[in-house]
Amino acid sequence: MQNRFIQIIGLALSAVYATAIIWIYATEPRSFKEVATGAQVAVGTYQVDQEKFNAALTLFRRDQFRAARDEWQRADSAQSDPRTQFYIAYSYYREGWGRVYYDQDLFKQGIEAVNRAIALSPTPLAVDDENLQMHTAAELKAELEQGTERSWGDVNPLKILRTRK
Amino acid sequence: MSEELASTNNRSKNQALVTYVALPFIFLTVALLGGLRVSTEGHAFIFLPPSLITLVLAVLLVLLFVRGGLIEIRSLISGANPPLTNVTHSWMLLTLFFSSAQAFNSVLPERGLLHWLFSFFFLWTLWNNQFSSFNARRLLRSLMVLFGTAFVLKHMLLASLYSADGGWLKRVTGALVSGVTLGALDAEQFAPATGYISFFTLGLYLVGLILISFSHPQTTSSDLALMSSREE
Repeated sequence: MQNRFIQIIGLALSAVYATAIIWIYATEPRSFKEVATGAQVAVGTYQVDQEKFNAALTLFRRDQFRAARDEWQRADSAQSDPRTQFYIAYSYYREGWGRVYYDQDLFKQGIEAVNRAIALSPTPLAVDDENLQMHTAAELKAELEQGTERSWGDVNPLKILRTRK
Repeated sequence: MSEELASTNNRSKNQALVTYVALPFIFLTVALLGGLRVSTEGHAFIFLPPSLITLVLAVLLVLLFVRGGLIEIRSLISGANPPLTNVTHSWMLLTLFFSSAQAFNSVLPERGLLHWLFSFFFLWTLWNNQFSSFNARRLLRSLMVLFGTAFVLKHMLLASLYSADGGWLKRVTGALVSGVTLGALDAEQFAPATGYISFFTLGLYLVGLILISFSHPQTTSSDLALMSSREE
């Protein structure tokens, strides 16, 4: 009976260990801190650093987009919070927006971030922020995608009258 | 008589602990650390999953274990064993297979011609050994030499040759070797911690193999059968 108990315990513990190893190889954490963050995400106890998030939001409202993104990336180091990823995408949009042309690199990074936000959110993502003109990830994605597409409308001189959202 | 019974009981318990708890944990740790490298910049972890060639080498090595008598498949997995025993033995063999693959991963250069040269020598040695007469002890000694040589070549000789911290002579030699062969002999650089991790990994792997040879599976199975008959 004791041997059977040892067998079951050994099998169960080593199966858990093997799962953890597969998870580590799948997620490829780069440091012990990332291992810990990844584990929090897997367990469901992961939370964004609210202080850093608020600091980033203040920078964003002052149009300091790069600094804001840095703070948001630190606040959501696991890139697992849809709201933070939405704001990061929005910062790419606002920084890349130009009256005459859009910065393609920034818009592409914005699309990546908004796609992450959409994938992370179980329901259609909507952010209630009165300082923004686009409140849903779908709107933001459409705007970013439109900015990366080339059309005859790009040569329309009236384009300079458009406004940033 | 009761002392003898207690001694058999303890031996059986210890063998069960080694076979069902210690060995899978040792082999899984080897599987975890075998693909771990530490980058020179920022000392970030890099996890390299086993490549296809390491899986092939692991298959050959496990076959060698069977041929050398280190593993007795017939007693480990048999119709006479209880189903749970067969499952746990299969699990142990699976962990042994992946740890073997990762032990190779640990001592193989990551890319380029050197990767294939090392792989070829491993393949050649293991293939030749399939047709040699081995016993478990000789096999273990042979494996220690094989992994030891590969470790010294990769983590000491090559690492020193291509090291950015090395003296100018080493760097010039490394650059010349790389230049003359048009980059085919180029080797990836890692932090010194990688060598220590590999040393620990290989040590642990060999400890696991030695433990297998001590906890003779046939004895374990018969002891388990004895224990279960006593319980009945």
